[in-house]
Amino acid sequence: MTTRPAKVDTGMGVSCIVSTVIHLAVFLLLLWWGKLFPVNMVVQETYYVDVVNLPVANPRAGSPTQKGNETEIAPPPPVAPVSAMNLPEKPKPSAKTAAKPDPRVAQSAAESSEAALAERVAKLERGLEARREDAVMERLRSKLKSAGSGKSGMPAASGTEQGSDYTAYIQSRLKDAFRDTISYSTKNPEMIVRLFIDSGGKLSRRISERSSGDRAFELAVLRAIDMASEKFTPPPDKKQFEGVFVFKPQGITTNRGK
Amino acid sequence: MALLLGAGLIVKIVLLILIGFSVVSWTIIMFKFIQVQRANSESVRFMDFFWKSKRFDAIASQVDRFANSPLTVLFNEGYGELKKVVEGDGASEGSALSTDLGGIENVSRALRRATNSEITRLEKYLTFLATTGSTSPFIGLFGTVWGIMNAFEGIGRTGSASLAVVAPGIAEALVATAIGLVAAIPAVMAYNHFQHKIRVLINEMDSFSTEFLNIVQRNITGK
Repeated sequence: MTTRPAKVDTGMGVSCIVSTVIHLAVFLLLLWWGKLFPVNMVVQETYYVDVVNLPVANPRAGSPTQKGNETEIAPPPPVAPVSAMNLPEKPKPSAKTAAKPDPRVAQSAAESSEAALAERVAKLERGLEARREDAVMERLRSKLKSAGSGKSGMPAASGTEQGSDYTAYIQSRLKDAFRDTISYSTKNPEMIVRLFIDSGGKLSRRISERSSGDRAFELAVLRAIDMASEKFTPPPDKKQFEGVFVFKPQGITTNRGK
Repeated sequence: MALLLGAGLIVKIVLLILIGFSVVSWTIIMFKFIQVQRANSESVRFMDFFWKSKRFDAIASQVDRFANSPLTVLFNEGYGELKKVVEGDGASEGSALSTDLGGIENVSRALRRATNSEITRLEKYLTFLATTGSTSPFIGLFGTVWGIMNAFEGIGRTGSASLAVVAPGIAEALVATAIGLVAAIPAVMAYNHFQHKIRVLINEMDSFSTEFLNIVQRNITGK
């Protein structure tokens, strides 16, 4: 009995090499593509609104209006002319009455003293009224002056009014940046950092008051501070700001006591 | 690319397995494509030549031209068995022809054996494509589940469910499923394609076997 020689399939090795080359080519293509067209994350401007500590808006600022619709501020109401008070004339003592003390004269003197008293009370009341009007007018003038450049629709708060909190603002910026950079390798690391921001809103110094001992966490904190400090606004009253912030994986808290 | 490099150890292992599956399945796809294409084209040419030729010995001398066709294997087997039958009959009874069907049965068995052998050869490695097609998505899914478990662990550690914490882990995890699908989809498509082509070749082999037996029966036994 003759046996048929088994057919040998050739070409498997060549196919294997070609397949490997194709996979490598695809891998390199992906690398090249990633370098050629890096993924650009759209960074949108983030607006921070501190709901609790909103800056106090000037009531004269009005409601928001579109640009170009600015209306001129109405001129202040004309100041009411304050007429000079008519001072009561002093009673002129007559020579006769002085020379001759007479019961009639005495009676008329009593009457005149009552009239003088009434005049005096009236004078005081008028003076008081005039002062009150002056005060009201002064208040109106100062309010008109503080209405700013006349652009209605923008709160005229400068951050110095009661209610604005620069520390909360810095904390929220740090928190936002820290969310992007957070990384740690130990359990519950904690780092305390003191930040100094100059009058221009630039981070002048940062001092690590307590280290976490976690290298990855500390790098994440420093990166977050650097990222956040790019967009700090100047502190209120152009004073240097100093604040202590406690960084934890759960978030950032302020240490106002220190 | 950073997603691949930044993935965890288990996810990386899963990715390597899937890439291995993909490389091997593409090797098989290319090899089978060439094999089946050659088998098809040479079978067509061989059948033309077979019907044009009048003698088996003339065909037998030319079959090397169609080495990749499974029909040539069938012809060689059938012709070899036929020669043995004829030679055996001649030696035992002194006649060139056998009137009983015992010799035809032998040729038929030889053809069936050759057909089975060719089917096995043609279907070789296809099981790997089927395995890749059916298991790669699940392997990828395993990597994804593992990655998402890690992502949730990260959420638990930080106490924050923000996208910054959750998204990278999930993105890394989903890469495993994506590569699993990339490996599986071509494998399944190629498996179905080759199955169809091989079924056509099997039908051709069956037809050829029947025709060969008919010719043998007509010409040799005179029926």
